[in-house]
Amino acid sequence: MTLQSGGPPRTRQPRPVPKGAVSADRGTGDGEASAAIFLLLRRMRVPLISLVLVFAVSVIGLALIPGRDGEGRPVDIGIFDAFYFMSYTATTIGFGELPYPFTDAQRLWVIVCIYSTVVAWAYAIGALLTLLQDRAFRSALAVQHFERKVRRLAEPFLLVAGYGETGELLVRSFDALGRRLVVLDVSADKIDALDLTSYRGDVPALVADARSPQQLRRAGLHSRWCEGVLALTDDDEANLAVVQSVALLRPDLPIVARTVSSAVQQRIATFGSPIVINPFDRFGEHLLLALRAPSTYRLMTWLEAGPGADLPPQADPPHGGRWIVCGYGRFGRAVTADLRKAGISVTVVEPSGAATEAVTDGVDLVAGDGTERGVLERTDPRSAVGLVAGTDNDTTNLSLAATARALNPDLFLIGRRNLPGNAVLYDALGMDAVLVPTELVAHEAYAHLSTPLLWRFLQEMPAQGDPWAARLLDVMVERCGGHLSALWKVRLTAREAPALQRWFADGPVLIETLMRSPENREQPLDVVVLMVLRGDFSILTPDAHFELEPDDQLLLAGRPPSRRALDSTLVVEPTCDYVMTGEREPVGTVWRALTADRRRPRGPRPRGGSVRR
Amino acid sequence: MNLEKVVFGFFVLLAATLNFGFFVGDISDPDLHNVYELFAAVVVNLVATVLKFGDRTQIGAVHLATSLVADLQLIAAAAMYVYATRIAGGGLSGAETASVVSLSGGALLANIVSVVLLVVETVTYHRTQ
Repeated sequence: MTLQSGGPPRTRQPRPVPKGAVSADRGTGDGEASAAIFLLLRRMRVPLISLVLVFAVSVIGLALIPGRDGEGRPVDIGIFDAFYFMSYTATTIGFGELPYPFTDAQRLWVIVCIYSTVVAWAYAIGALLTLLQDRAFRSALAVQHFERKVRRLAEPFLLVAGYGETGELLVRSFDALGRRLVVLDVSADKIDALDLTSYRGDVPALVADARSPQQLRRAGLHSRWCEGVLALTDDDEANLAVVQSVALLRPDLPIVARTVSSAVQQRIATFGSPIVINPFDRFGEHLLLALRAPSTYRLMTWLEAGPGADLPPQADPPHGGRWIVCGYGRFGRAVTADLRKAGISVTVVEPSGAATEAVTDGVDLVAGDGTERGVLERTDPRSAVGLVAGTDNDTTNLSLAATARALNPDLFLIGRRNLPGNAVLYDALGMDAVLVPTELVAHEAYAHLSTPLLWRFLQEMPAQGDPWAARLLDVMVERCGGHLSALWKVRLTAREAPALQRWFADGPVLIETLMRSPENREQPLDVVVLMVLRGDFSILTPDAHFELEPDDQLLLAGRPPSRRALDSTLVVEPTCDYVMTGEREPVGTVWRALTADRRRPRGPRPRGGSVRR
Repeated sequence: MNLEKVVFGFFVLLAATLNFGFFVGDISDPDLHNVYELFAAVVVNLVATVLKFGDRTQIGAVHLATSLVADLQLIAAAAMYVYATRIAGGGLSGAETASVVSLSGGALLANIVSVVLLVVETVTYHRTQ
């Protein structure tokens, strides 16, 4: 059978599965899909058989009992009339006694029939209705519906395992980019919440445990349209299981996994080359970047925040000085280590067992509960420049921040927020920076997967220095406003920029020549070229005289109208000609022919493919 | 012994035997074909069909298919009978009897396939044990 022929080669051979074999299997999928209907049929056996039997007995009985016609002659009503009578009686329609009024013997039998058939009928319909409301049946139906939707997805999609705060943020960002997503989560509440959210695209979602490869297969892991997997559950083990399944079954797919444990991080990293995001690790790096290069940090957070993000406020973190870190858990340790590596002295406040670890790590420790004023005073907050409230309890973090502010109002306060509902409290307290692990993961995953160029840009950006970032921010605000639209990528190939190809025959095209408004070329287009990628070399924020060459990849920022304008310049030949030369080229064939003589003497113009490179 | 199998085998066999009982005899002689036997064949066939619901094996699917064929044929035969006696009028003629009986003959073929499947299933069941 199909199960046999499709199964063994995949499960027994650890080597990569060829793409064709993966998308070809339909056998098991169809088997799962028809499960719901089989369940229904199996459970309807008893009600249906009782209905058939009760009907049969009633009909036979009625057909056998002799009746009388209008003139009193004996007559059998026959099977056909008996069936007709029983049909409308059992369904409680009741047309009356047809074809002749019944005799008493017939009526006696009909009394028995009425009660038994109506009960059998009600039982069958009741069983059917109960079955339709049955949890197992409904979930089977939901699975079937989900599988059908995933199977019909005929465009690239991302598979998201875990729809918590991180998952939701990412789904919203990618949906705003017009990307398609498939979501799995173990919690029915979260899937219900997703169904209530209005996204642009249809987002198929299923209540399922992503740890199981079967569920991942249901969610389209084997589909050729699957372009990446995000393991974002709040359970490190589950994320590891997802990475394992994907790395073994679809080694060609990019994986982004979230974890907060360095042990799991290492275990995940042994499977191929997944992108592992540990928010606690990353935050230390971000903090250092914010301390050393505030503008670079601001630009990075803005670009990572996804489409529609507002320009983050300019933070002004203190330079040098001593920092107080409250809480020496995984987060506190990572931050402390990063700060110390950068040569910043740190005082740690930690009440519990982790205090001994702090001693062995050799950091300056104040043992005790930081929310007590006395304990915090021992850290000498007046001589410190900043405080990180990094425990895993929001209430503790808030009171730490409040106590610290009372002791030294100039302290730069950084709080770690754990629960989404507490965001308003952190805002109200006016923290200088808030770390939300879920947001950090979402932003980083977005930077990795939205366009490969963005990640490259973010990697190379810090090397450009802080003044560069500040200038770029000014330019971006001036041209795109304080509200970031989606970044986009253009590759100057014959496919994406056909109109530009013959201009390349003349040599490189300057950015300032290309980035002009198609309505009025005197006006430059409000587009910022963030990066040009040529082969393996990248050029960040090329200037206006930069010479573009065929096959260059551009990372661009700008408002949607500017994007549409640039698109038409790249694709529509007359528009491109106008932008390049300022000359309105006739579009229609007739007008072209009429004006051909007039246009020809205006210098050599490359036409068609003869001189194309 | 599995009670489900007993009930299942009983109905499949009974459907075939009743069907055969109605079918056997001169095809155009109305006296040799009792309409109550046809009715019983229809009812037992319907029960056998419902018993085959929800079986996900390959052989179960073929069982269901044969039963559905038999149902279709027998209901067609019953409809033909009603037409001949009630609508066309003039009682059951030789030609009309022949068409009713031949339709039930088709159903008989499907029922025989059902029985063969039942036997095959039973034999393979023993072999695998």
